[in-house]
Amino acid sequence: MRGIYTPVTKIRRQVFTEVAKLAYEGGDYNKVEEIPFRIIPGEVPTYRDSIFVERAIVGERIRLAIGLPLYPADQPTYISNGVEESAISEKVYDPPLVNVIPFACNRCDETAMMVTDNCRGCLAHPCVSVCPVKAISIVDGKSHIDREKCVKCGRCRDICPYHAIVKYDRPCAAACGVDAIESDHLGRAKINYDKCVSCGMCLVSCPFGAIADKSQIFQLIHAIKSGHEVIAEIAPAFVGQFGPLATPGKVKQALLELGFSKVYEVAIGADQGAVEEAHHYVHKVASGEEPFLATSCCPAWSVMAKRDFPEIAPYVSDALTPMVATARVIKKEHPDSKIVFIGPCAAKKLEASRKSVRSDVDFVITFEELMGMFVAKGIEFGEMDGDEVIDDATAAGRGYSVAGGVADAIANCVDELYPDVNIMVDRAEGLRDCAKMLKIARAGKRDGYLMEGMACPGGCIGGAGTMLAFAKASTAVREFQNVSPDKVATKSRYVEAEEE
Amino acid sequence: MKELKVEICVCTECVMKGAMELAESVESLKKVKKHLDYEGEIYIDMEKCLGESKHGEDSPLIAVDGELIKNADSETVMEKIVEKMKAAC
Repeated sequence: MRGIYTPVTKIRRQVFTEVAKLAYEGGDYNKVEEIPFRIIPGEVPTYRDSIFVERAIVGERIRLAIGLPLYPADQPTYISNGVEESAISEKVYDPPLVNVIPFACNRCDETAMMVTDNCRGCLAHPCVSVCPVKAISIVDGKSHIDREKCVKCGRCRDICPYHAIVKYDRPCAAACGVDAIESDHLGRAKINYDKCVSCGMCLVSCPFGAIADKSQIFQLIHAIKSGHEVIAEIAPAFVGQFGPLATPGKVKQALLELGFSKVYEVAIGADQGAVEEAHHYVHKVASGEEPFLATSCCPAWSVMAKRDFPEIAPYVSDALTPMVATARVIKKEHPDSKIVFIGPCAAKKLEASRKSVRSDVDFVITFEELMGMFVAKGIEFGEMDGDEVIDDATAAGRGYSVAGGVADAIANCVDELYPDVNIMVDRAEGLRDCAKMLKIARAGKRDGYLMEGMACPGGCIGGAGTMLAFAKASTAVREFQNVSPDKVATKSRYVEAEEE
Repeated sequence: MKELKVEICVCTECVMKGAMELAESVESLKKVKKHLDYEGEIYIDMEKCLGESKHGEDSPLIAVDGELIKNADSETVMEKIVEKMKAAC
């Protein structure tokens, strides 16, 4: 459903816009109770059976967008509970990040093979013959699958001449690459947080809009309003996300208009990481000291790799992620500032709160959430004169946003710095394929390799917080790479400064 | 050569309310031209704001051959374009 503006997209974005407006207006925050009535007006339901359920769900989304926990459905409560206390200039974050709104969930069945109306009850009925567990019989002239017996092998589906048998997956579970979606006692989706890595793919895949993550825009706006020095670092996937009028320079200008005092490209940290990982690859992997090197920039991937493949964990790069490396650069120049990472990613929200590595990042918001702030503030890209200059990074660092770009950046550094070394690369996108790649590596078949992992299909431009369809986003990134005068990460002035 | 001009408003509010996704659905029609017996061209213009400043209530705005559609959604827009295609055949 990515790239299609559905009612789910509409409501999600309306919530961001309304919450941003609420924060900008300030005053009495009890008026948060009015927002569901603006988003769901009238007295006839639009999306579900009951308008009251529609509004209650919007109420939950508003709470999450303010950073608050869901409210229990079996206790008297108000949306506004805790809102006043959350109107502060610091991040409000109670785990978990990604939440199923239980009463918005449609209780979709778990994976099953299903016979559709296409079944003609044919004479041959090969579905019966191929079933290894005798789960199929002909009932009332149609094929019937006994769900108790069915092992979901798919042979009946593959053999049916009428394509009458389909394999059906819960969309949230199908999107989850770490099998973290389970069911509660009422059959509603429930996230197993021991498995979840917060990539956010379930929340953009649920056709009922029943899953949402927490946002930090409410507190970010308060931080800006309080007059604190707030600096933005924007991830390389940002190009094109805010519409064709929003050129990279105008996005920078829009951020300055919102009250950010400076804007940096996160690709600065990507450039630094590419060079560091190139050195690491040559000294450790090419030399045979370590079996392989896995990239570290994607937090959902690196958490999954380290947790589910402990024997591989030591070989996941310990280079700082671009987000953290860039924040360190900013902190050096502006030690008292608050730093906001603006990106396509849900998992970065957790990475910034991680205790193991001090992130130096105060807030993490997504492109979609930022667009809510632009709308709330009435920022118009078409009415801006001129273009700000945005020239922090090389084409290599900017390429980190597209699957394959990280490995390319590192490989080009190796070519540049160690022309005699031949680098071998494997890569995967989507956590399921990432896990497959790691299994192959564990079996000893990726020795000598650099492995790039990206949790989101397509890379960061396919992230949960993006606005733009994949193909256009990838073209936009490529154009932005092309305007950078420097192609290889080693040429970054931040890399040169670090080496001196 | 027959041609259809589709202008899509890309002000901030229209983009938030789905202008980019509308552009995708208009573009997708180029691939089904054959099925629709249309041999002309579809031009998409996404360069400016089509309405008065701050027309949020009407977003997203789109114009098909000069005919303005307010609160556009992909199904209405594609229907309008196909209607114009048929008229041009």
